[in-house]
Amino acid sequence: MREGQLFNLFDKPKLESSSLVVAWNQDVGKVGTKAADYLRRKLKGLEFAEICPESFFPLGGVSVEDDVAQFPESKFYCCPEESLVVFKSDVPRYEWYEFLSLVLDIAEKYFKVKEIYTVGGMVSSAAHTTPRMLLSVVNSAEMKRRLSHYELASDMDYETQDDQRPTFSSFLLWAARRRSIEGASLWVPIPFYLLAVEDTQACKKLVEFFSRRLELNIDFGDINETVARQNKEIAQLRSKFSEIDGYISKLEGNLSLTVEESEKLVREIEQWLRGGH
Amino acid sequence: MGVIFYKEPKLSNPILIACWPGIGNIGIIAVDILRRVMAAEELGEVESWEFFYPRRVLIRGGELKSLEFPSNKFYFKKMGKKDVMFFIGEEQPTDGAKAYAEGIKAYRMANLVIDVALKFGCHRVYTSGAAVAPIHHTARSRVWVVPNREDLIDEVKSYENTVLMSDIEGRDGQGNITGLNGLLLGVARKRGLEAICVMGEVPIYIHGFPIPYPKGSKSVLEVLSAALGIEVSMDEINALVQQSESEIDSVYDRLPSEIREQLDKLKYVTYAEPSEPEPITEEDKKKILQEIDRLFKKEPGRD
Repeated sequence: MREGQLFNLFDKPKLESSSLVVAWNQDVGKVGTKAADYLRRKLKGLEFAEICPESFFPLGGVSVEDDVAQFPESKFYCCPEESLVVFKSDVPRYEWYEFLSLVLDIAEKYFKVKEIYTVGGMVSSAAHTTPRMLLSVVNSAEMKRRLSHYELASDMDYETQDDQRPTFSSFLLWAARRRSIEGASLWVPIPFYLLAVEDTQACKKLVEFFSRRLELNIDFGDINETVARQNKEIAQLRSKFSEIDGYISKLEGNLSLTVEESEKLVREIEQWLRGGH
Repeated sequence: MGVIFYKEPKLSNPILIACWPGIGNIGIIAVDILRRVMAAEELGEVESWEFFYPRRVLIRGGELKSLEFPSNKFYFKKMGKKDVMFFIGEEQPTDGAKAYAEGIKAYRMANLVIDVALKFGCHRVYTSGAAVAPIHHTARSRVWVVPNREDLIDEVKSYENTVLMSDIEGRDGQGNITGLNGLLLGVARKRGLEAICVMGEVPIYIHGFPIPYPKGSKSVLEVLSAALGIEVSMDEINALVQQSESEIDSVYDRLPSEIREQLDKLKYVTYAEPSEPEPITEEDKKKILQEIDRLFKKEPGRD
């Protein structure tokens, strides 16, 4: 582990034991990064370390997303009173194992990590009125037992299909297990028509879990307000456009939409919510 | 070391045959058949997670059970006086998005393989790959041989159906061997091991397509088995050649007649007569490749 070459340390947190929440910027619906940002903001987390990009990302230019130039970031934020560290990062383009080893080295050496949680979203065909659930994948039977009181959907069976590859979170859980660090990946299904905007309910679901698990005593007033506002705006759209209401009603009745219907729903929701109604 | 050993056999004067996938999977098909025919035992494997992104995850009851990486395994076979080791990699490590190895990871992988070769007292390494050549698919593939030392040239010339780079018209003994099948030759040379790369020919109009070319593999298998002094049953490779040839024929028959006529000229290409005019011009070649590309894209299941 080469400080100054592979990573920069701005401060040395004094933590005897900690939980690490990991969010990847390339997340479906960006719900993981939003939950991580929310935790960091609410708990006044301070950046104390970063991984240098040059060994893990091609730096032959920058990508542009939503009209803004991007640059790979891998930053650690510490919330010392809560014994919580948040790591927000882009998924590296190469040297994956070395990158994960570095994350775990920093986590073990500088904040004595005890548990790791990755957070993210997954696409769902359910309507936004369906209560959000939290799915979990753990890296040990003991972790599964410990999380059994948190109403998680924790019986997933899954095997990578030929045209897919495992998530980077799975790679992290596997690498953590090699060091006897327990971990869980938490996934919230997001209605497909909220992917391009924001699913605050999904974000809340993740934060609620951490609030209970880590006894964070977070006041959800602000996020509840955002959820209520979004629901109200979608309700207004439904009452104004019967076609959109019909699409969402079909989803609420567990019926599927055609490709054209789905595309129209996505387009209309995005326009409506971005239009500030 | 980055390698897990299942066994620590004492090997007698072994040679190592190492291979990774490449054009037409020519080398890997030949080496894998040889390994199986010789009933080589597993010796160990490279800790692949340092080189590759995982291929598959298995989750049962919400618990991550396993993560599977491309395998990179060593095998051995005791033969008495001269034992044989194999290394077979399922994928070439790269630092970027390229299909063939290059950069630090490739160099590290090549050195790991040579570390293991030296640990068991290897004196020679063979690698294998493909040589893209202006040949017709009905012709027997020849084997291009490239040693990493000058004093091996006479030996490699003695293998049947082989050519040196200098035998190839216009090459003047020059060329490149892309990826780890080539890099290993260089790393072996740097570390004082003799090494030979044997490359089966693949027709120029086929090499760009993601299909195996067992005819080239068969020629490689013949050379390797002769070099080892063992007899290998050709039943399996012959069956693969037959199947592949009928698939290529079916595409070939559907080519426009003017393209087929151009390609048919390749039947008469012989290296023995390099003074003959080029049978196909660069312009012809471009048209032919475009036409074949179009046909492959139309094949069911290839979309």
